[in-house]
Amino acid sequence: MPADVLAMTVAVGEGALSRAKYRAEKVSGNGAREKQDPARGRMAGQERRIDDTILIREAQRGDRAAFEELVRHYDQPVLRLALHLTGTEHDAQDVYQDAFLKAYKNIGSFRFECSFYTWIYRIVTNLCLDHLRKKTVRKEDAPVAKDGNGGEYDLLDQVADGRAGANPERDLMRRQLGARISGALEKLTPRERMVFELRHYHGLKLRTVGEILHTTEETAKNTLFRATQKLRGQLADMR
Amino acid sequence: MKCEWVRENITLHVYGELADDARHELEQHVARCADCAAELKAEQEFHALLSQDRATEPAPNLLAASRMRLQEALETAEQGGFWHRLAFDPANWLRQARFSPALASAILIAGFAGGVGTSYKVFGHPPGKTDTVAAPPSVESSITGIQSITQQAGTNQIDIKYNTVSTQEAQGSMNDQRIQQLLLFAARSNYNSGVRMDSVDLLTQKPDVSQVRDALIYALRYDTNPGVRLKALDGLGGFVKNDVRVRDVVLEALVNDANPGVRTEALRLIEPVKADGSVRGVLMTLAAKDQSQYIKSQARTMLAQLPEID
Repeated sequence: MPADVLAMTVAVGEGALSRAKYRAEKVSGNGAREKQDPARGRMAGQERRIDDTILIREAQRGDRAAFEELVRHYDQPVLRLALHLTGTEHDAQDVYQDAFLKAYKNIGSFRFECSFYTWIYRIVTNLCLDHLRKKTVRKEDAPVAKDGNGGEYDLLDQVADGRAGANPERDLMRRQLGARISGALEKLTPRERMVFELRHYHGLKLRTVGEILHTTEETAKNTLFRATQKLRGQLADMR
Repeated sequence: MKCEWVRENITLHVYGELADDARHELEQHVARCADCAAELKAEQEFHALLSQDRATEPAPNLLAASRMRLQEALETAEQGGFWHRLAFDPANWLRQARFSPALASAILIAGFAGGVGTSYKVFGHPPGKTDTVAAPPSVESSITGIQSITQQAGTNQIDIKYNTVSTQEAQGSMNDQRIQQLLLFAARSNYNSGVRMDSVDLLTQKPDVSQVRDALIYALRYDTNPGVRLKALDGLGGFVKNDVRVRDVVLEALVNDANPGVRTEALRLIEPVKADGSVRGVLMTLAAKDQSQYIKSQARTMLAQLPEID
């Protein structure tokens, strides 16, 4: 028992140290800190994992700053997934908010049995599935839901400089294709949609997809097959 | 039979999800079977068509806004399983006690009181001696620290000197000197960022008072909560033109702040003074090599609107 307490105290010390370092870097200009990351290459992934473990333990002790730091490691892909699945910024923000709040409230029960990545994705996909199911029941005018985030397109066009503007015809075709594809995606069952989304748009391996959705890799494979067949049927005239 | 198996696995093949032996088998079959080869080609074409449509990255503003909204909600959110954590993590309990002097003192007092109680039981009440065991701390006061603890030798009489603090209330308008002082104090030193947020919010009504402006500058520079920093930034916005100190601190936030929302707001605020030499310098740096695509492009746009003077 005393050894246990000692180990915990050490962990707290380390955490405080790493955060102090983080703050020092922040003061000296966060640009420099971010620039180092790509240079570190493969090492970064491993460091991130260790770093995350410390952050998770601190968050489990109720350290909100550690949790917020943890959020920043995962929230961009989470928001991307929510945005693509729900189709509107408003709904995506709701999913984001609910997911991380739920994670915060339940982080005490995270026992390192799976990776934090899988754990957080489980929460997010469950919320997204709920959203998709509700949407299916409401039967909204879904196929053009993408038009809702027109603002985002404008912003992206700006960022991409002249590229999009230089070829308006191609840009238009890309948007039409996008609208047709999202229309076809809406017709999949929520689960098919989720498997397809995670594999196709977010590049997750089916093994991970299975883990996230509490199912086997084999079932995930079958679901992907069914989803693709349906989409091919829907978009048969596009070729 | 074989063709059927191939058809079922072509999708997985295209996604690179087939096991090595199955992939080999499929490739062998496709090389011999024209129908399956055509099917594979069709699937690959379809895959290429789908791949033209990508999931767009969320806009930096959306991400920043989501983070801020979450941070606000986290301040009031409670972590679940309090008893669970208490039972499994006594170190946490001790740590919390360490950071909460009132609680720590209360535990100490309770410990002594318990000790006194038991010794009375064991030894009985000494006759002829008045019982002066500490009167319970009054309800409205809480203990902030223990000055001294002494035990009179040979007796079970203990003297504890402790400080208390009591909650008081002040009421008044924003023009009230005392209210202003309390707000300035709250803006800098309260541990609860909700209180800091409220006080900074009220202080932004009086940014022309120099002490208030100092407090806002301090909050923008050092507050750990991005919401508070954003509020302070908005309060300072009107002084970017006339107060060089304000301009400097806004530029500092624009370059160094960890929160994209704060940076975006800072960029918006310096718009009226973009022709100023120091601002122009910062904009040029941002336009050349900022991490955020949005800031970079906005800085470029602002620079492009400037008349050529050099």
